Amino acid sequence: MIELRRVSKSYNKGRVKAVDELTLTVNSGEIFGFLGPNGAGKTTTIKMIVGLLRPDTGTIAISGLDTQRDSLKCKSITTYVPDYPAIYERLTGLEYLNFIGDVYGVPKADRLERMTKWLDIFELAHAVTNPIQSYSQGMKQKIVLIAALLPAPQVMVLDEPMVGLDPRASYHLKELMREHCDQGKTLFFSTHIMEVAEKLCDRIGIINKGKLIACGTMEELKKLSEDVSLESIFLELTDK
Amino acid sequence: MSRLRSLVRASLKANFGLAVLSHRLFKEKKDIWIAAVVVLAGIGLFPTLYGYIRLIKGLYGVLKPLGQEQAILTFSLLAGQFLILLFGLYYVVSAFYFSKDLEMLIPLPLKPVEVMLSKFTVILVNEYVSILVIVAPAFITFGILAESGVSYWTNAILVYAFLPVIPLAIVSLLVVSMMRVVNLTRKKDLLIIVGSLVLIAAALSVQFFINKSPGSEPDPQAMVKFFTSPDSLVRRVGASFPPSIWATKALAGGFSGPGLLNLLVFVGMSVAVFCGLLVVAEKLFYRGLIGIREISGQRKILSTTRMSQMVSSGRRPVRAIFRREWRIMNRTPVFLLNGVLTAILLPVIFIIMAKAGGGDETFVLMRGLSAAKPLYVILAAAAFLIICGCLSGTSSSTFSREGSQFWMSKVIPVTPREQAMAKFLHSYVIALLGIGAGSAALLAVFRLKVSFFLAALVFALTGAVALTAIGMIIDLARPLLKWTNPQKAIKQNLNVLFALFADLGILAIIGFFVNFLAKSGVSASVILFIAFTAVLLLSGFSYLLLLRMVDRRYREIEV
Repeated sequence: MIELRRVSKSYNKGRVKAVDELTLTVNSGEIFGFLGPNGAGKTTTIKMIVGLLRPDTGTIAISGLDTQRDSLKCKSITTYVPDYPAIYERLTGLEYLNFIGDVYGVPKADRLERMTKWLDIFELAHAVTNPIQSYSQGMKQKIVLIAALLPAPQVMVLDEPMVGLDPRASYHLKELMREHCDQGKTLFFSTHIMEVAEKLCDRIGIINKGKLIACGTMEELKKLSEDVSLESIFLELTDK
Repeated sequence: MSRLRSLVRASLKANFGLAVLSHRLFKEKKDIWIAAVVVLAGIGLFPTLYGYIRLIKGLYGVLKPLGQEQAILTFSLLAGQFLILLFGLYYVVSAFYFSKDLEMLIPLPLKPVEVMLSKFTVILVNEYVSILVIVAPAFITFGILAESGVSYWTNAILVYAFLPVIPLAIVSLLVVSMMRVVNLTRKKDLLIIVGSLVLIAAALSVQFFINKSPGSEPDPQAMVKFFTSPDSLVRRVGASFPPSIWATKALAGGFSGPGLLNLLVFVGMSVAVFCGLLVVAEKLFYRGLIGIREISGQRKILSTTRMSQMVSSGRRPVRAIFRREWRIMNRTPVFLLNGVLTAILLPVIFIIMAKAGGGDETFVLMRGLSAAKPLYVILAAAAFLIICGCLSGTSSSTFSREGSQFWMSKVIPVTPREQAMAKFLHSYVIALLGIGAGSAALLAVFRLKVSFFLAALVFALTGAVALTAIGMIIDLARPLLKWTNPQKAIKQNLNVLFALFADLGILAIIGFFVNFLAKSGVSASVILFIAFTAVLLLSGFSYLLLLRMVDRRYREIEV
């Protein structure tokens, strides 16, 4: 579960308000889609949830733990996939996964089982001993996703995870996102792909100019507009 | 031409971060403290500069009666050019082949030679700044002492303008040719490192053999000839790199026939070597550059048994981070050349210089000193070992080297203290490599007494804790995380320079107090005890300060 209470973040000494008094709850077992135009505050919100940025005001809690006070406990149950992952290119895929396993303390048997499973699904088994430097953009995205799955976290936070993935990998990712939440865990992700959000998410939040302008299930959002597609709802709401 | 001009202008602005800095300083009013730090660093540099100028004045006083004073110019010219020849390699490899903007420049409608020229200009400007502290004081002091006229100062400006061209063009020629070969192979990183080492070794051995060659047998007739010819010392000193002789004669000769002739030869040779580079670069630069960062992987699926062997187990964050640091440092050519290899190379350079400059004389000197002033010998040996261990810049770039990957250090469930401990261990191991190489130099070249060596070693091992921690503290206070070229994280990182000043400052303060105590009649063993206790306390204090600071800074640093 993720809870944001009146979270604000500004840049340039308060002149640019990236996130403005954002209050939001993502329940356990829920896939939450976070939508918004470019520069609306999606990535800033995500970075505050995972501890890369500090909120100016407000609090963020993960499974009831404050991300500022209990940061280490929060980090040990959360994993994060950034939009353009800058990862250790000089390590091999296997060394990178081992590094993640070592810092999250994943037991060997679990590590082996999960690595084998996900490397196979994402078709990376043949490249795991190669340096990440030799990977394509999509392969880098896949190895970061596998690393995020490796500790079997309570909460996964993904920033535009479909970017760079081929259709097969996108399909598998959507499957595993569902599987993750069916186990009672939480998944928070941002996307620009309306179809994915519409079909996959239990609830959707739309942010514009730092403010949450709509939040709810697809049915609830449809009531806000005369249109029926999420794309039209999004365009109408963010145009105001 | 205008295309080239705008490319060069953009490269210079990007490289020195002028646009960003002016925006932060004047628009956002941030980083004002940088100005204060630059002033402080200038103050730190001042005593060194003062000492250097006094040395030049002293040398002038000695050499003038012998008619050999021009050798001062040759010394400084040679030092500047040799520095470029040796360290230009790092800059050239990194700027020509590893800056990220190359990916953007290659598809543009630019000639290979234009792209190379933009990079060359950036390094050239860097070199003007780097050699300023070595060459300018010698030029100015000599000019004033010799009461030189306009012709000297005019030629001095011209010589300075062309000074880095020959060594930098030679290094660039070698690197461009080397990278063409490297790009043909699979093990590119390895070959870059081996090739760079070969080039450094070649530069050092040229220096070594030429300095050795005049023969050590004193021949009275040759000695007489040596001291009666006004430029004999110039020729002797400059033999290893003739452009320094032409430059000296151009300066000393002014607008006279020989002066202008030598200026013409110097400038002409600079232009010729530079044109040679242009011709070679047009043919070879892109062939070496395109694909240099592409690494082809093998398609190999691991067996279950092999996978099981390669997968580790349990939570061991310090070990995991130490291994990450070790692997990334050693697998990134620019980091390896600047870190581990500098730690090992530095003592080797000292050995070669000592051997070339007369190892036996040094040995005799050390023997004499050891007998008369054992305290100074131990402390000097300790200082030497500490410098060998801590000059590589590993600790003072430890956070900066993470660059855009720092986000991972922020999100993993490892306390900042554990991360700092792992990074400290890594930097300390590199320092140990330098101390090891320095120890070999002390024992082999200076043939230091074993008991003195052991005392110095204990000092150095303790002192290295303090300097490693202080280097890390400096980098932690202001990590340089936004870089596109790994060179910027270590070689062009101001933190490395600040840490160097801090290290030298600490050693100077200890030296000052030791000298003060010795003059006050305190016995050598008591002074050693006091100095060691001070170093021990400083080490403990700086390590604890690092751990305290890292908690706060990891919260503050936003990525």
